[in-house]
Amino acid sequence: MSSTWMTTRAWLLMLPLLVVMVAVIGWPLVDTVGLSFTDAKLVGTGGNYVGFDNYTNMLSSSNFSRTLVTTTLFAVISVAAEMVIGVLAALLLNQQFHGRAILRALMILPWALPTVVNATLWRLIYNPEYGALNAALTQLNLIDAYRSWLGEPGTALVALIVADCWKNFPLVALIALAALQAVPRDITAASLVDGAGPFNRFRFVILPYLAGPLMVALVLRTIEAFKVFDIIWVMTRGGPANSTRTLSILVYQEAFSFQRAGSGASLALIVTLLVTVLAVAYAALVRKTAGSAA
Amino acid sequence: MSALEIRNVRKNYGSVETLKGIDIALQSGEFLVLLGSSGCGKSTLLNIIAGLAEATSGDVLIGGRSILGVHPKNRDIAMVFQSYALYPNLTVRRNIGFGLEMRGVAADEREKAVAEAARLLQIEALLDRKPSQLSGGQRQRVAIGRALVRKPQVFLFDEPLSNLDAKLRLEMRTELKRLHQMLQTTVVYVTHDQIEAMTLASRIAVMRDGRIEQLGTPEEIYNEPATLYVAGFVGAPSMNMLQATVQGTTLAIDGAKASLPLPARFRDAVQDGARVVAGIRPEALRVAADAAAPSVPVEIEVVELTGPELVTTARIGTQRLTACLPPASRVAKGQAASFAFSEDALRLFDPDTGKAF
Ligand SMILES: Nc1ncnc2c1ncn2[C@@H]1O[C@H](COP(=O)(O)OP(=O)(O)OP(=O)(O)O)[C@@H](O)[C@H]1O
Ligand SMILES: [Mg+2]
Repeated sequence: MSSTWMTTRAWLLMLPLLVVMVAVIGWPLVDTVGLSFTDAKLVGTGGNYVGFDNYTNMLSSSNFSRTLVTTTLFAVISVAAEMVIGVLAALLLNQQFHGRAILRALMILPWALPTVVNATLWRLIYNPEYGALNAALTQLNLIDAYRSWLGEPGTALVALIVADCWKNFPLVALIALAALQAVPRDITAASLVDGAGPFNRFRFVILPYLAGPLMVALVLRTIEAFKVFDIIWVMTRGGPANSTRTLSILVYQEAFSFQRAGSGASLALIVTLLVTVLAVAYAALVRKTAGSAA
Repeated sequence: MSALEIRNVRKNYGSVETLKGIDIALQSGEFLVLLGSSGCGKSTLLNIIAGLAEATSGDVLIGGRSILGVHPKNRDIAMVFQSYALYPNLTVRRNIGFGLEMRGVAADEREKAVAEAARLLQIEALLDRKPSQLSGGQRQRVAIGRALVRKPQVFLFDEPLSNLDAKLRLEMRTELKRLHQMLQTTVVYVTHDQIEAMTLASRIAVMRDGRIEQLGTPEEIYNEPATLYVAGFVGAPSMNMLQATVQGTTLAIDGAKASLPLPARFRDAVQDGARVVAGIRPEALRVAADAAAPSVPVEIEVVELTGPELVTTARIGTQRLTACLPPASRVAKGQAASFAFSEDALRLFDPDTGKAF
């Protein structure tokens, strides 16, 4: 069999998949790029070519810079907290104790729940009239009166971050727990004999085996957090006073609420570019970490 | 006072008895080898001494002080593992100095100790490498160095050479012997390699199923095995075991028309008509030249030249004998011959209890 035939056959077999991919990803992407250079509305005709106006307007708007800050805050704080809580949970669940298997299974639950269910649950907890958080804090005498956690610009983002952490720390814990199984027992034993305490044991024995897998979790979670839409949409719709508006929410508002398809498309492409840069930078970092533990 | 004393140590995992009462007392500077097949409890005993596992009952004393409940780092021991167990992201230098670093020893003092250990082990050139950049033999040297710098009262080794290839294992064995002769520190060394045990040990504890089958010097273990198990475990090829019956002052070999004189030293111990197992080391056999020494008639079956010796398998009635003969011996397959041996080389065991007479 000639190699040209092999190549032809490979392409033929891949063709259906390629057609589908071009149809559902490639074409919309090209269309979006085209759209981003027009002043098209969501409904009606194609609009006129406006060059880079959408981009320059968007990048220079205060809406964009404020949203970028909110998104970065949300992503950095929630991912950092998820990493810390996830690793601590994994370290605890790696100890020998009765009921460990049940606890391990229970821990996955928040992550397994659909985001909408999770978000609704937290809205109930934060409810200003009958929410569990208000009840608990009042009973503990930590607050005098019930507050609207999601209704005040000062607390809404924090409340969202807590909900997002609760949902996503199990993923980090799961990855860390798997990595902990790979820490050789002998090295742990050697560190005990050598007199390393819990902190040094974590640093010199556990961390080398945890770093690579945690890096992967970090990449996954940061990119997801940067694109976050669903949990915020269900809980606050970006409010109050746009205090929880992230980039994806802004894209949605621009394109659908304000019906500015061209401007929305340019913003969507800006977000795509930002996430791509993040992904590439992280991929390089992962490759570097993977090389360090032998 | 013993450097290390183990008193009636038992260990249960659930309902399984892994150690069934171990008693050992070591003088300072002794090199004890725990020898036994896989799963007999060697590592468990070592881990109990190190404090990595807890004994169910019994006591362990180092320098006369009970160390039960004492944290491993405070036991004045250092341990070397089969898997080397080096810290993967620390340099060789920091790996070796880690125990001192954790104990808050000053950097310059640490540096001196590391340099000294590196010199002893000839790994000075490797000090700035990471473990992943070392060969197996180099890693094991680093692991030994890490134990050396601590200057502990007792060194514990758990099969340190079993991940190395044959040639390197031989080199490291000699190296360990040299280090021990120089440092004179008490050592407990686990292995299932009987050659390693014979060459390194000042005393060997042969373990079986959580018990010590025999505790003695290598010579005692080799020349006067206390049980059939020890006799079979130590020595390669292993000791010949002939089923025989006592008939007056002779031993009639079962399934053969041959008999051996019963050595005078056994005459009081065994009864007429008793069934016994007669043990003779392959190295003790030679081709009979005259009728002076005791000998048995055999038929040669297989002859294998290993280099230094001719390993010969022969039939005696329905049983088999192996002999390690000088390479120049004139034996050939199918030939009838006669194997002679000195009366002192003969051991007798009770087939029911396995114990030596
Ligand atoms: N943590 C444990 N839980 C349950 N059983 C164990 C545990 N550790 C060891 N054992 C059992 O105790 C017995 C002795 O194990 P040990 O590791 O001491 O054997 P060993 O003599 O070192 O064998 P090897 O030569 O294979 O290393 C084995 O049957 C093993 O299955
Ligand atoms: Mg073992």
